[in-house]
Order: sequence, then structure tokens, then C-alpha cells
Amino acid sequence: MDKILKNRAAHPFILLVFIIILIGILGGERVFTASTLFSVFQQFATLGPVSLALGMTMIVRHFDISVAGVMGLAGCVAVLLGAESPLFGIAAAMCLGLVSGAVQGTIIVKLKLSSIGVTLGGLLTLIGLAYVLTGNQELGYARFDISAYIDKPHSDFVSIRFLSALFIFFIASILISWTRYGRDILASGSNPKAASIAGVRVEAIVIGIFIISGVFSALGGALLSYSLAAASPVALSNILVPAAAAAIIGGVSLGGGNGHPIGIAGGVLVICVLQSGLTAIGVEPFVHDIAMGGVLLLVGILNGGDLVRRINDFKRKFIGVSQ
Amino acid sequence: MSQNLEIQKESSQKSFNLMKSIKVADIIRLTVIISLLAFALTTPGFLSSLSIRSLLSTMSFVECVAVGMTFITLSGNIMSFSIGAGLSAATIIFVALLPYGLFTALVATVIFSAVINGIQGWIIGYFRANPIIVSMAGYSLIIGIMTYFTQGRGLYIQGSEAAFFKQNLGPIPGPFIGLVLAVIVAQLILTYTRVGKRIYLTGSNSKAALAAGFEPWKTIVWAYVLSGVFAAIAAILMASRYSSGDLQHGIGLEFGAISAVLVGGTLIQGGKGSVLHTLLGTLLIAIFQAVLVLRGFSTEIQQLALGVVVLVVIMLQWKKDK
Repeated sequence: MDKILKNRAAHPFILLVFIIILIGILGGERVFTASTLFSVFQQFATLGPVSLALGMTMIVRHFDISVAGVMGLAGCVAVLLGAESPLFGIAAAMCLGLVSGAVQGTIIVKLKLSSIGVTLGGLLTLIGLAYVLTGNQELGYARFDISAYIDKPHSDFVSIRFLSALFIFFIASILISWTRYGRDILASGSNPKAASIAGVRVEAIVIGIFIISGVFSALGGALLSYSLAAASPVALSNILVPAAAAAIIGGVSLGGGNGHPIGIAGGVLVICVLQSGLTAIGVEPFVHDIAMGGVLLLVGILNGGDLVRRINDFKRKFIGVSQ
Repeated sequence: MSQNLEIQKESSQKSFNLMKSIKVADIIRLTVIISLLAFALTTPGFLSSLSIRSLLSTMSFVECVAVGMTFITLSGNIMSFSIGAGLSAATIIFVALLPYGLFTALVATVIFSAVINGIQGWIIGYFRANPIIVSMAGYSLIIGIMTYFTQGRGLYIQGSEAAFFKQNLGPIPGPFIGLVLAVIVAQLILTYTRVGKRIYLTGSNSKAALAAGFEPWKTIVWAYVLSGVFAAIAAILMASRYSSGDLQHGIGLEFGAISAVLVGGTLIQGGKGSVLHTLLGTLLIAIFQAVLVLRGFSTEIQQLALGVVVLVVIMLQWKKDK
């Protein structure tokens, strides 16, 4: 039990159990249906890849806000090029993610720039590209057979899209847990200088992570636009917040060096269960926004560099405990 | 401005290498500005009063937000993701309180905006919390809470209380006058007040700020409060112009604002730059987009061009020393 409590990746799942119990108490048994579970998994398929992409960059002490742009543009590319062969559309979208990640990663590493600045420029550029590609219109995807295929519930609640999302979490987990690169990635995140002295090629690792981030979010975007049978260039500021929230709830620390894809998956599930569960018990959607904002704020404060010092200040001032 | 020159002079004495790289970046900037101006002036129709007026009024709202964002960036906190959402909320507050009198509405809007940004600034400064995460949380909370109060609907101005802010002064669009006043006041605060100077110091080195004998968190709260005040001005101008308060008004404005801040040459890690730089950035972006329109490029190309420009500008800020 102690081991589970100490494992950061387990925390979101503990939180998940509490939330499910709470929703059960508030909503009764009618909430727990196959269709609620299916809707949770479908949301997981949408939010999971982009959250994993963002979370991976946070593990190496960066913050890739361009994931929202990659996701949008990849959706447009997949819809434009995937009419004949859907797989080609997905491949093209993933190539785009790869190039975007490689370019931004290289700029960040070689010019020693802050990743937020560079990926902000990247985000605006990618959104601009999406506008140009689509002519600022929503593109329809004529292959409804594909939409139906990837979203069809198998054994009541698992769709192809959800399985694809699970698959990339699986790959990322293997990468982190069972390869040499995993240790290098965590080391680069927790202390880049020390890692570099110990012989880790930190620059290559960071570029690699940005490539992975681009590819993952592109895959998520392509599958989402297939599923909606449409793509539009609208800026996805509203995907960035839940993606960051899921990664943080999933135990990725803001200072880097900590976090695991399984934890991120747990964080994504928390967000999705909260959203579907609140909808199922008839709570209005703004409650979800407030809950998510509250959690982000709390985590932000708990990760604050001066938290301990401020608590001590508070004790000294108001409780009178001195040393 | 003279302060910035001094900073540049000091740092150029540090090492020859540093001086060289600053010069390269400056030369690139100057070349870009001159060629853009030449390009603009040779574009037929650019100097017509209609095109200049539309240019001035479109840039006004973004610039007011960008002035606010400048304080945040200068104080070393990169950007706020919630400033657009906060502005939207402020337009609703303004419209909702107008029936109680213009003065009440104005004061309440400014206080509201200063408080919601100030709280985020307090959390960021006092606990040294991550500004990106806190402002994202702010975004979510503001959107959620305001949706509860408005049920997602916009509010419309019924009376004519806010007509004053809709007026134009002869050929000059009203919002532009608001913008000019905002820029002057903001620049004066930055250059001549203690808070302004401390914002620079906190942004360039917050440990030095502590050593200099003041708590950086108080300065950071001030930076956010000021950003809220200037966002409130944009909100008031916007609500008056569109005769409504709506959660959609400010969506995405933070991206336009941070683009202007960065294109103007303010460093993303803070400590260097000014409101006048931001004004220059807004002007350059507005001229660039106007020229593209007049030359017959689509609005989609404008979006792409803006993104590329921001990316290039950030690349020009490469670290001169390790």
C-alpha cells in the first residue's frame, strides 16, 4: 500500500476512484452504463494523445504549447489528403507533426531559447498554415464509412480511435520504463547539466521528445477530424488547458524530471470521467471548467517554489510557532 | 528609452561577442522595419485616409491588451493565458453595471479587471508558482464562473450612456485616442515610478531584487494589477464600440497581444523592453497586415505571415551568453 501511495503515477488513479464514488453517490446507479463508459473512452481518445504530447515535453523541462496547433493542422491535412486513402492522410499528418517537432526542437536546443516562446511562434504559424490550407472554412470529410469505422463501439465501449490512443500510451510507457532512453529522458528533465556531464546527449533527447510530441498530437488530430468527418482551422486554446491539466493531475511535475505516461493516462481519465460523469448526473458544463481551473490552481500553488517558505512565514506570523 | 540604451551599453562592455550579436539582431530589425515601410509607402491606397483610419481602429484593442501584457512579460512571467478571458468578463461587468451610471460602471470594470489579474499575480509572485499554469487555471475559472452568471448569453447596451466612448475626434477614431493615452500613461509608469523600475529589476533578476531590499512578489502583483487596468480600458472601449458585453469578445486576444510585445523587441524572459516597443510591434503588425490586404493577399495568408514573423522574432532573441 505504501508503495502505491509513493508512486506518483498511481495518484491520479486513486483520485479517479474517489471521483467515480462521488459521481455514484450523486447520480445513483443509472450513471454507470456502457454508453457513459463509451463516451469517457471517446473523450480519452481526443484528449489523450495531445495531453501525452504536452506531458512528455514537460518531463524534459519544456512546455510545448504548439501541440494545439499541430492537432488542428494535422486534422486539416488528414482530411485534405486522406480522401482516397485514409491511412495516407494519417501518415501525412504524422509527417507534418514530425517536421514541426524537429524544427521547433532544433531551434530551442541550438539557439538556447525558451520553449514557450518558440512554440508560441510555432503555434501561430501552424494555425496560419491551417487557415491557408482550408481557406478559413470548415472542410468536410466525405468518407463517412471511415468515421463510422473508427468510432464504432466494439464489445460495447471500445472504438478503434480509443485503441489507437491506448497504443501510443503503451509505446510511450515502454520507451520510458524499459529502454535506456527512458532513464536519459528523466535525467535530462531533472538536471540537464548533470545529465550532460554523465554522458547523456541532452540536446538529442530534447529534439527527440519534441518529435514524439509532434507525432502524437498529429495522430490525435487526424483521428479526431476523421471521427468528426470535418476539420476547421479554429485555434484550439480550449484543448490546451485540459491537456495541461491532465498531464499535471497525472503526476508530471512542473520542474521536469518526473512523470510517467501511465500517470498521464490516469490524469486524462480523471478529466474525462469528471466531464462525462458531471454531464450524466445533469450538472451544467461550466462546473467542469471551474473544477478543472481549481485543480490547476491548486497544483500550481503546491508546485510553487516559495510554498514552504510562505507556510513558515504564515506560522510565524499568526500561530506564533518559532523554530 | 534611455534606460534601455544604458542597459545595452553596459552589456556590450561585458564582452565583444555580446556586442557583435546585438548588432546583428539590431541590423536585421532595422532592415525589416525600413523595407516594410518602403513596401507600405509604395503600395497604392496605403496612404488613403480610409485605410489609415481602419488600421488605427483595428489595432487599438489589441494594443491596449498588449500594453497590459508588456508589464507581465517585463516582470519575467512570460505571458498570461487568461487576459483575453478576463477582458471578456470585464465587458460583461461593464454592460451589466451601465444602468447604475457610467461612472459606477467604469470604476467597477477597472477594479474587477485589476482584481482578477492581481489575484493571479499574487499567486504567481507570492508562491513563485508557474505563470503559465496559474493563468491557464485563471482562464478556466473565469470562463466557468462567467458562464454560470450569463448562461452563455451576451448582454446588450440599452441606453446611450456609453456613447461617449464611441465618438470619433474628427478624422481620428475614438479607440485610437484611448490607446494613445494608455500608451503614454503606461510608459510614464514604467519609466518614472518606483514600481516601473522594480518591474524591470524583477524581470531581469529576481534574486537581485531581493538583495536590493524589496520583495519581488509585491512588484509582480503590481505588474498584474496594471495589466488588468489596461485590459479593462480595452474592455470598456470594446463594449462601447460593439454595444455589447460577451464572453466571445476577448477570445484569443492574448495571442495577438503577446505577438505585438515580442515583435516590438521585448525579451520573452523579461527585464528588457518597454511599452513604446510594444506600440512599435503593434504598428508593424498592423501595417504589415494592411499592406497584405491592399496587395490582394487573403486574410489567411495574414495569419500565416504573423505566425512566421513571431517565430523569426523569437529566434532573433537567441541567448548571447550561456
